[in-house]
Amino acid sequence: MTAGFDLTPELEQLQEAAIEFASKALAHDMVARDRAERFSREDWQKCAEFGVQGMPIPKEHGGLGLGILPLIAVMEGLGYGCRDSGLLFSINAHLWTNSIPILIYGTDGQRERYLPGLCDGRLIGANGASEPDAGSDVFAMRTRAERRDDHYVLNGTKTFVTNAPVADLFVVYATIDPALGGMGVTAFIVERNTPGLTVGPHMEKMGLRTSPMAEVIFENCSIPLQNRLGREGRGVEVFECSMEWERGCILASFLGAMRRQLERCIGHARSRKQFGKPIGKYQSVANRIVDMRVRLDTCRPLVYRIGHLKEQGKKAVLEASIAKLYVSESLVQSMMDAVQIFGGYGYMSEQEVERDLRDAVGSTLYSGTSEIQRNIIAKGLGL
Amino acid sequence: MDNIKDTLRNYIVSEYLPGELPANLRDDMPLRTSGILDSMATLSLVNFVERTFQITIDAHETGIEDFDRIEDIARLVARKQGSAV
Repeated sequence: MTAGFDLTPELEQLQEAAIEFASKALAHDMVARDRAERFSREDWQKCAEFGVQGMPIPKEHGGLGLGILPLIAVMEGLGYGCRDSGLLFSINAHLWTNSIPILIYGTDGQRERYLPGLCDGRLIGANGASEPDAGSDVFAMRTRAERRDDHYVLNGTKTFVTNAPVADLFVVYATIDPALGGMGVTAFIVERNTPGLTVGPHMEKMGLRTSPMAEVIFENCSIPLQNRLGREGRGVEVFECSMEWERGCILASFLGAMRRQLERCIGHARSRKQFGKPIGKYQSVANRIVDMRVRLDTCRPLVYRIGHLKEQGKKAVLEASIAKLYVSESLVQSMMDAVQIFGGYGYMSEQEVERDLRDAVGSTLYSGTSEIQRNIIAKGLGL
Repeated sequence: MDNIKDTLRNYIVSEYLPGELPANLRDDMPLRTSGILDSMATLSLVNFVERTFQITIDAHETGIEDFDRIEDIARLVARKQGSAV
């Protein structure tokens, strides 16, 4: 990647390989699987074998150690070649809110126990932070972690937990004392078979329907001391770290989806004729497509900038929120434009245009709503 | 003790109250309950205090009663350092 944000030949090659892999191996039968909200464990495993889940994890922990820029390039390629945005969303949630915090804050024992499985596809990770009454105000959480000798006892309910129905491992946030506010929040690694952990019924969603979601309930759930992630009372740091990564990188695959949809729209506008000429010859149609291209070209550098900053070991809190805000809102608008360009056909499920719009809408909500991103950016500006 | 307070004051003003004069941040001014520091800023302050004064602060020492005003935080630091208050 150069300063002009063109991919280096190596990254371009990697992205092409990802596109080829995704086009051939992933996302069959998407209309039916979307309708049935069916997650593909088989495709998850194929992605792991391709190396996606292990890309940012060092080799000594079972990963490929390729770093963040190659992963962003691959994610963009997968988003272009794979129409299962739900699967890619699940992989992102697994990476940024489970594997990365364990890599950064985990003990040697935690890394050794969990990271190889998280890389090779055996383990699926999930993240429990939001609660029914603690969404944007996440540190107002009520889930309690009571310390008893060599273990903690967790009680509470987490909601909107991506991957919960299929997850093997949860990174969970709970407070040791609500009176401490954010300074009481502590992170834990909780294995699925831990007594007292229950996964609630599948939650039906508007989009990203192949990415399963559920509540996770903890009732006198005993967590060994060695499964605390980071220091007691430092969960905010773990959470914010994972959010910084997630906000900056989770939309990389949607760059590919935006490009795929742009190309489809150009093709459709050239071939579809109304009133005796291709609809692309009408400015009202052409302008929408132009705007889609402008959005794509302005979104890409924001996402790749995060990769550059993280590869240099720099913080990117402000930049990640800028990327998250701008890319998510651009994505929704471009997918809306695609539906409009395809007209009635775009509204039909079989064309697979409306699904991209439904898949896009959640992007302005998860990992912090657009309103929260603006708050973070304002704070970063000293306002 | 005054050195500790000044160090804390300068850090808070430079990080969270840009443009404000340090002298305007009084020792008894609430930091968290007034909204000057949110959860992440509080955590950054705790990390700063640990790093700067070479002490370890336990989660239970970061409640509002011990960690909301410069004077409270300075007292905690002095106690941890074994200094006279």
